[in-house]
Amino acid sequence: MSGQYIAFFILSLLTISGAIFMISFNRVIHMVVALAFTFLSIAGLFILLEAEFVGLTQIMVYSGGVSVLMLFGIMLTQHSKVERSEQKPALRIFTFAGILAFFVAVFYGIQKTPWSQEAVDYSTQNNVKEIGVQLYNNYVIPFELVSVLLLVALIGGIIMAKKEADDE
Amino acid sequence: MGQYLEQPLSWTNGLIFAGAAVALLGIVLFFVMYAIFFQRKILGWMQLRIGPNRVGPWGLFQTVADVFKLLLKEDIIPKKADKALFIIAPVLAFVPSFLVLAVMPFTENWHFADIGGGLLFYLAISSLTVIGVITGGWASNNKYGLIGAMRGAAQMISYEIPLVLSVVGIILMTGSLNLIDIVEKQQSMGVWFAFAQLPAFIIFIIAQLAELGRSPFDLLEAESELISGYHVEYSGFRFAFFMLTEYVYIFAMASLTTVLFLGGWSPMFGLDFIPGIIWFALKMGAIVFFIFWLHATMPRIRIDQLMKLGWKVLIPLALLNIFITAIVKTAFM
Repeated sequence: MSGQYIAFFILSLLTISGAIFMISFNRVIHMVVALAFTFLSIAGLFILLEAEFVGLTQIMVYSGGVSVLMLFGIMLTQHSKVERSEQKPALRIFTFAGILAFFVAVFYGIQKTPWSQEAVDYSTQNNVKEIGVQLYNNYVIPFELVSVLLLVALIGGIIMAKKEADDE
Repeated sequence: MGQYLEQPLSWTNGLIFAGAAVALLGIVLFFVMYAIFFQRKILGWMQLRIGPNRVGPWGLFQTVADVFKLLLKEDIIPKKADKALFIIAPVLAFVPSFLVLAVMPFTENWHFADIGGGLLFYLAISSLTVIGVITGGWASNNKYGLIGAMRGAAQMISYEIPLVLSVVGIILMTGSLNLIDIVEKQQSMGVWFAFAQLPAFIIFIIAQLAELGRSPFDLLEAESELISGYHVEYSGFRFAFFMLTEYVYIFAMASLTTVLFLGGWSPMFGLDFIPGIIWFALKMGAIVFFIFWLHATMPRIRIDQLMKLGWKVLIPLALLNIFITAIVKTAFM
């Protein structure tokens, strides 16, 4: 049993249990903390696959950014438990069918993908550097387009917030 | 440590990892105990007081006694608190603070993980502590706790941006995110980044104080207005964890500043016979002293001044620094 196997086992257990707890908890803030654990474990899985740059970005954006922002917003809302309304049986069956179809599609897709037989070894390369080289040599234009898109979203958000503030 | 990480995991290697981590924890705990002691002494001397002087010679055992007092105290959980989160919050705050030390190179041989994105690792992991702060403040179900946590979150998120942007200049000049490479670059250049990247150094020091929540940016504690903020309901062992987090971050941040800007373990004035670890400790100690010194000197600034300083001064300056560094690098190097 290698260290990688143990790490994979722990991380995947945490990922799945975080996701399940996120659904089954009653309080919103507990859900967000469970979700933060899932985000973190996914980052761990990336690092296990030697994609440390993606993993660290995952921690920075999702665990450090998105979950904190969610917590920040939720803190201002009500403290009490959320009552869950009982769903109609028809809706339940429909949801279950949807989930089943999704599972079958994903499972079939994974089974049908032709994986190469030999394991790829990136451990000798510095993947932070490689990503930088690729991004700024071969993919400069898409990268810049994405940054412009983000800037537009940012400015749009500010304008919308400003309009609402002026209306009041 | 490096050679053990490349071997497959066995019981011996696992035990070596665990032993090394425990040893580091011991060193850090010792540092924290005496950092608090020296803080109280230095503050005392600067205010023409004596400081702690009763327990042991020169009061050396004062913080040891304080720690024992905290450990022996009754463990109180408020009745209306959210029990699960109240218990987990100190752990969520403490774990990242210790985890960031995993990539810290104390000397070229004394380090744990040597990963390509070491600096990114530090910045990413240290952004997790704020989750612990928010959940702690929220779970204790106290209005001061909640306000302190909100302030803390706002402050930490806003000052993370100039902190990250200020180090981009260094990354540009080094061409690597690896902390060991950054120190070696400074050795080969023959000048510290504190001088080569002076604006970045100033921005980093200011943003770092805000990240640590130290004076003049200690708004998330603010004893006089917020009765100490997010950990107001905590007592005993759990309170000790929050205190520990704060001081372990001082250790980590001072180490990071040393590595990034003060040349890490490289000797000064050509005094090569002094081992690197002592140079590292001296430089780190100077940064820690600087933080305590400011604590005695500066008054607390208001929250709106804090936000203005962060968003309107530090971030534009950091961006300008990146811009100029990039131009200089493409034109002259």
